[in-house]
Amino acid sequence: MVVLLVGMCPGLDEDLLRSLRAADIRTVEDLVSSDIEDLAQKCSVSYKALFAIRRVLLAQHTAFPVSGADLYEELLSSTAILSTGNPSLDKLLDSGLYTGEITELTGGPGSGKSQVCFGVAVHIAYHLKQSVIYIDTTGGLTASRLLQMLQSETNNTDEQMEALQRIHTFRLFDVGALLDCLYGLGGGGLHKACVGGGSVKALIVDSVSAVIAPLLGGKQNEGMSLMIQVAAALKTMAKDFSVAVLVTNHVTRSGSGEARPGLGVSWSHIPRTRILLERVESGASGRRSATLIKSSRQACLIKEDFDLQWWSRAEGEKGGAERGEKGGGAERGEKGGEPSGKRKLDETDT
Amino acid sequence: MRRPVSSLSLGSSLKGKLVRAGFQFATDLRDLNPEHLSAEAGVSQQEALEALQAASSGHGVAAVTALELLQKEEEFRSIVTFCSQLDEALGGGVPVGKVTEICGAPGVGKTQLCLQLAVDVQVPAVFGGLGGQVLFVDTEGGFQVQRLVDLAGAAVRHCSLLAEDEEQRVAMTTFTVETILSNVFLVRCRDYVELLAELHLLPDFLPDRPRLRLLVIDSVAFPFLHLHDDLSQRTRLLQGLGLRLIAAATDHNIAVVTTNHMTTRLRGSQAQLVPALGDLWGHAPSIRLLLRWEESRRLASIVKSPGHMDATVQYQITCQGFRDADQSEQPQSKRPRTQTDQSASSRENTRT
Repeated sequence: MVVLLVGMCPGLDEDLLRSLRAADIRTVEDLVSSDIEDLAQKCSVSYKALFAIRRVLLAQHTAFPVSGADLYEELLSSTAILSTGNPSLDKLLDSGLYTGEITELTGGPGSGKSQVCFGVAVHIAYHLKQSVIYIDTTGGLTASRLLQMLQSETNNTDEQMEALQRIHTFRLFDVGALLDCLYGLGGGGLHKACVGGGSVKALIVDSVSAVIAPLLGGKQNEGMSLMIQVAAALKTMAKDFSVAVLVTNHVTRSGSGEARPGLGVSWSHIPRTRILLERVESGASGRRSATLIKSSRQACLIKEDFDLQWWSRAEGEKGGAERGEKGGGAERGEKGGEPSGKRKLDETDT
Repeated sequence: MRRPVSSLSLGSSLKGKLVRAGFQFATDLRDLNPEHLSAEAGVSQQEALEALQAASSGHGVAAVTALELLQKEEEFRSIVTFCSQLDEALGGGVPVGKVTEICGAPGVGKTQLCLQLAVDVQVPAVFGGLGGQVLFVDTEGGFQVQRLVDLAGAAVRHCSLLAEDEEQRVAMTTFTVETILSNVFLVRCRDYVELLAELHLLPDFLPDRPRLRLLVIDSVAFPFLHLHDDLSQRTRLLQGLGLRLIAAATDHNIAVVTTNHMTTRLRGSQAQLVPALGDLWGHAPSIRLLLRWEESRRLASIVKSPGHMDATVQYQITCQGFRDADQSEQPQSKRPRTQTDQSASSRENTRT
């Protein structure tokens, strides 16, 4: 429903607008769907002028079909895959976080969602040298932990400070502020964040359920609408600006004690990929298990064990640990050969 | 990226009227004047002004880089617990600016730790403390002034033994049992409505007291345990409460400490003791400490923390308060300790 305004197209001036309003034509839809001859008579305007206006408006507001081949070309050139820094998670995510998509991490308290988010932010800021936007709604963002992870990557304090400067943080505690922040970023904030090196390639929201869950249920009717607003803002940002969006969610327990991602069925359609994190009962303190519960690229319910301390382990262990991880197997369904079009974002983007 | 009108923070009826009048995006509203808008959309002048303000403002807060966040974090110290092993595991103590939860079975020492923290936050800055005030919200009636006096006295004695130079001696003149007691603001909440009301008033209470560095809620579970019939309402109230606590902790740089009870979760045929109030409340505190008994030892474990690894340390509660477990101590007789035992022993000590 787009309102007709003066200057929207040549020929649409004040007088014409007034006479159209008098004839009860207020929006583009009304104009386009009404009978032009009839309208020309009612408003005492020439048929030709109205027809020309209608054609321009149709051209402005129509959606154009795109062929599949063009779409594929566009995706190939604009999508990048960002590694999370942890090989087991990368295996689950089919080599990493994809830009243009929303990936969700879900798990109970203490399951490691924030730690994974920190690890991803540090990996992208340090190894890939790109900027990261981190929106924290839980109060759990601890810069000293980010520094700890960076200190295990490099001893050079300048590099550490540089990487820390590439992580832009926001701390918000209600949904109105979250929407303001997202639209502010979309409206120009992202470009500001690019100053100082690297374009913004990832947007992490930890957690999206903390601000939305209190609004759902009961006699509140705005909750669902606000949840879908947030989802729309995240999706638009992911697509338009080619960023990978990573969100975290809580879990609820079903009747039999099974953990299910929170925010309900409506939210479950929003992220493209969902991973459930759980503590490993008998393992060492940092062990967690990740299960793929929704994916459009791999067979679901693949499980991988990983170590939360991966992102802050000492230098010497890195080579050996990687070899160990490759040895650990996962039950994978049959997958076709690697599509040749995927490009991994390993080095600095020129 | 165009912002739809339905995402602006306005009343839902106002948003409905604007959308019905054909204004879909915030940019549509931007160049109008209030009279025009109120005529078009059929809303009052006041509402039109509100709508125009919301459409043109609202780009949120500015971003803070992680480096600036790090510098801000290093400014504030943590609150020591006087149990050095626990302080080490926590990287200095209970951190300021985060919500910490202490869970445990009855009688394990949660209120004792809260009272200890209420004293420790007041330790003057020259001794490595914060020199701050504390707001103690008591929902269970477990706050005992006499116990606080004991703890305060022990802390004052400890610090006066440490005082070496002139500055520290001057600080000791302001660090006495009387001043410690006067810096503790006690609020007694009898049910969840009073608790929520108290937290609503917090943003007005805090700016007048810039020295407040600790908010203790003992316990957060007790008022909500009665709400069995409407669990979803309880969950929503708790989540709102959690958000408010996190916002207070972050915006005003205070440490928020809450205590929680334990409840039993049945998983198949196994029963497990877990913190009460459910998983959704579990996401609210950033740090979770679990206090428990193991035979005659008291153990404290960090089960959730963004910056520290899981660890378990042993502590003990003496008449002076929360302290390290004395390693050279003879194993005590295996007499089961109960709550009455503890308060009886502390009452005895004050009488002598």
